[in-house]
Amino acid sequence: MDFLAFLVTQCLNALSQAALLFFLGCGLTLIFGIMRIVNFAHGAFFMLGAYVGWSAVYVTGSFWGALIAAPILVGGFGAAFEMGILRRLYGRDGHSFLMVTFGLTLMMGEAIRLLWGVAALQVEMPKSLSGIVFILDEPFPIYRLFLAGAGIVTALVIWQFLERTRLGLLIRATSQNAEMVHALGTDVRLVRSAVFGIGCGLAGIGGVFAAPMVTASLGMAPNAVIDTFVIVIIGGMGSFLGSMIGALLVAFVQVFGSYYFPDFALAFMYLIMLTILVVRPGGLLGKEA
Amino acid sequence: MRMTLAVAVLLALLPLGLPPYAMTLLTEALIMALFAMSLDLMVGYARLISFGHAAAYGLGAYTCGNILLHTDIPLPFAVLIAGVFSGIVAIGVAWVCTLATGVSFSMLTLAFAQLLYAVAFKWTSVTGASDGLAGIPRTKGPFGTAFFGTKMGFYYLTMACLFGSFLFARAVVRSPFGAVLRGIRENEAKTLSLGYNTRLYKIAVVAMSYMLGGLAGALYAPFAGFANTELLFWLLSGQVLIMVIVGGTGTLVGPILGAVFFLLVQQQLSTYTDSWALVFGAIFILFVLFAPEGILGLARRRRAH
Amino acid sequence: MAGLRRRTLLTAAAASPVVLRHALGETPIKIGMPVALTGPAGEIGTQMRHGAEFWAKETNAAGGILGRPIELIVQDTTGDPATCVRKAQDVVERDGCKLLFGMTLSSEALAVVPKLAEWNAIFMSSDNGDGRLTGSSFVPNFFRANISGPMETRVISLWLREGKLGKFFALGMDYAWGHNSIGVFQDEVKRAGKTFVGDVYSPIGTKDFSTYITKIRQSGAEGCFLVLQGDDNAAFLSQARDYRLQDKVQLITSIVDLNSIHAVGDAAIGLAGSTRYVATIDNPKNNAFVAAWQREYNALPDVFEGEQYQACKMLQAGIEEAKSIDADKLRPALETAKIDSIKGPVAMRACDHQAVQGGYIVKVVKKDGAKFPVPEIVTTFPGDQVTPACRQMTFDS
Repeated sequence: MDFLAFLVTQCLNALSQAALLFFLGCGLTLIFGIMRIVNFAHGAFFMLGAYVGWSAVYVTGSFWGALIAAPILVGGFGAAFEMGILRRLYGRDGHSFLMVTFGLTLMMGEAIRLLWGVAALQVEMPKSLSGIVFILDEPFPIYRLFLAGAGIVTALVIWQFLERTRLGLLIRATSQNAEMVHALGTDVRLVRSAVFGIGCGLAGIGGVFAAPMVTASLGMAPNAVIDTFVIVIIGGMGSFLGSMIGALLVAFVQVFGSYYFPDFALAFMYLIMLTILVVRPGGLLGKEA
Repeated sequence: MRMTLAVAVLLALLPLGLPPYAMTLLTEALIMALFAMSLDLMVGYARLISFGHAAAYGLGAYTCGNILLHTDIPLPFAVLIAGVFSGIVAIGVAWVCTLATGVSFSMLTLAFAQLLYAVAFKWTSVTGASDGLAGIPRTKGPFGTAFFGTKMGFYYLTMACLFGSFLFARAVVRSPFGAVLRGIRENEAKTLSLGYNTRLYKIAVVAMSYMLGGLAGALYAPFAGFANTELLFWLLSGQVLIMVIVGGTGTLVGPILGAVFFLLVQQQLSTYTDSWALVFGAIFILFVLFAPEGILGLARRRRAH
Repeated sequence: MAGLRRRTLLTAAAASPVVLRHALGETPIKIGMPVALTGPAGEIGTQMRHGAEFWAKETNAAGGILGRPIELIVQDTTGDPATCVRKAQDVVERDGCKLLFGMTLSSEALAVVPKLAEWNAIFMSSDNGDGRLTGSSFVPNFFRANISGPMETRVISLWLREGKLGKFFALGMDYAWGHNSIGVFQDEVKRAGKTFVGDVYSPIGTKDFSTYITKIRQSGAEGCFLVLQGDDNAAFLSQARDYRLQDKVQLITSIVDLNSIHAVGDAAIGLAGSTRYVATIDNPKNNAFVAAWQREYNALPDVFEGEQYQACKMLQAGIEEAKSIDADKLRPALETAKIDSIKGPVAMRACDHQAVQGGYIVKVVKKDGAKFPVPEIVTTFPGDQVTPACRQMTFDS
């Protein structure tokens, strides 16, 4: 394989990985930005998305159907949880959210095991996406290109949503000054529920996208949680742009780092996180110091 | 003081009545209690929330494990040395972490713990990598230290460490040093303006916290006879933080109760059902909703009525 | 897929499956079984439990062992060695077990075996692969009824000697079993006069194998030896299919199991490798076993279910010979135990407590009418060629 082909294919690999990480990170950072909640259960929602996606494919026979159904169901479940339980805890300090989302992770993990079993489940990708293209004579899966594209499209959609729509404006305003928004007549509680639901829905759709590549399995949640945290910490808690940058940085470092220094792949990630935090304690684009 | 003495006497007498299986469980609960209490020192009294306290535990465990495996130093001394060593390493960690405050501080502690985990995973000669260290002996030595290797003796060693640490921590929080910590917790800017070098105080309390946490880890290694990378993993950091919160932060005693509660409930639940995680998670959520001040808060409320 | 789900529902329905009680009046023979029922190794641990429960039920129906019913005490270790030590201690101290099964991961077993002497308990392994358990970490109370990592690697290398492939690369999970097996493989390749072009290890929990697939392609290897299991294995096979890796490189895996095949479906076709047990082994005992298993679980028995059953039979043979479950009487009886197993004749070896047995090479093929591809036996090798010398992990010829 010549060097150019290698470079191009690895960059595309990194982009597809970044897309998956972005789905996770974006949701978490949105939730943190508005509600100051560190959603420990975020990985569990990602996993739930994969399993719900599997069921959706099983029932409807269509992957596209799963892409629509899963985020709605997972996001809906998230919003319901927020309305039922999280809502009561806003006056309290951060400890409560940590405990509650930790408890939720435990419950979701076990519930998924009871409902879907302990074996990894295969999610078929649609025939149209299962082929390969030749990039500089090297075979590259179409599905990964699709993933990279989906990530970019989602990023654009969310960006426009935050900038142009009323709800987006409310979300941005609430993250900066919730009281003022409330004083101006908006029910901040609804904004919070919506945001939590959207954040979980994003994690859920990430799970559906990931499933054909990695299979739906019970190990997804713990791995996803730590990855997501790293991205969001690097990018800056609460910063949407930061989550994009964080996802790209982590993905590129993972791909090229594990190629050139496989022994240090694991340590690399945390070293970068540490360095960035020391230099900029709030993360690259974070608001907190 | 009387309460403490009463509890000490009760715990000291327990081995005479309990079956060996319960003794093992209780010893482990006390080790966890020490671990949780050590975290409370920084979380409850200085509002320095660490997401990486497993680093202290793992450091203590690996250090003690290596000492016991490769030297002739008797058990009690190995444990103490490992604890102190963790505290010293923590000074460096704290120095970096206290560059930030709030959530960023917490994230830095997490980053350190994960880095330690990643390093331990690869450093086969020292940590045995993913296999960990197995067959850690309870090395005997002179002055009757052989006693501590027995089941009952080890229990008393653990008890002594827990009580010693508790008295130490309590003395710290009641001292002028502790008053400054509380000042930092309530209003750091004001404390700073009063002329205190708050960062030094923070570094000191983190080091103490890690030292006691390392002591707990150092006890764990010869207890299980085994140490591995899971002891450094973020899941353990999350669990010990939960223990502190469940027990009641800023009380020292609360986290002890929280740890015992957590361990016993998890043990018993997992014996009866595969789906223990479901029940366990529900318990946490219920705790937050109905007992926000933790177990100690509940107990105090009861007493008040 | 329905079969698997039903199986797991059966497990859940047996809600508190901690104990299998029996109607015989005698004091039961208690066997503690700490296994990973949840966590990344959960699927394997669940298989082990099924194997043991099946054996216990069958044996109790026939009158138990020495007239006593078997009582299994299964506990979940979540695949964590520290929890495994704790659970093993529980079943020994609280429940009075002197016999142990289970311990899904080699790391769990390695953590527990130093304590066996203190507990005076005997552990019969059914799935631990790490060579050190019968080598440098050997303890007298440990017995291994299953094929070990070095043995399955040896089977593969013997097969490759006869084949046309000349250059090999290896990819393994970055922990004990991965390093151990690839080390043995490298040794074997050199001994066969072939070329070993390189190896790489992926962290446990790797989700994206694109970098590793690139490395395999670039190495110029004709065959790639894989030492992966569980979720990592499933992810790798899926992605290898995405990249059409098998067009260029023959994938050879150290364990071919039904679970992975079901997880990745057609992506497994063409995979060749060693296996420790497969339902298609053709002998009267296995055919009867498979038929009975299908009646019970409505599915074919998978690798670890078969291996666990064999381990149970081995322990049973020892107890019946010694007429006791006391460790000092049982140990010598086990050391010379011989059984006519579902895998043919298997004999325990006294010097390192490894059961000497043959190995299998299978290839995954598409079968008309079957929902999933099936592993077909390609060739077998006899035990004396496949088992290393006493306390060794490598081979001399």
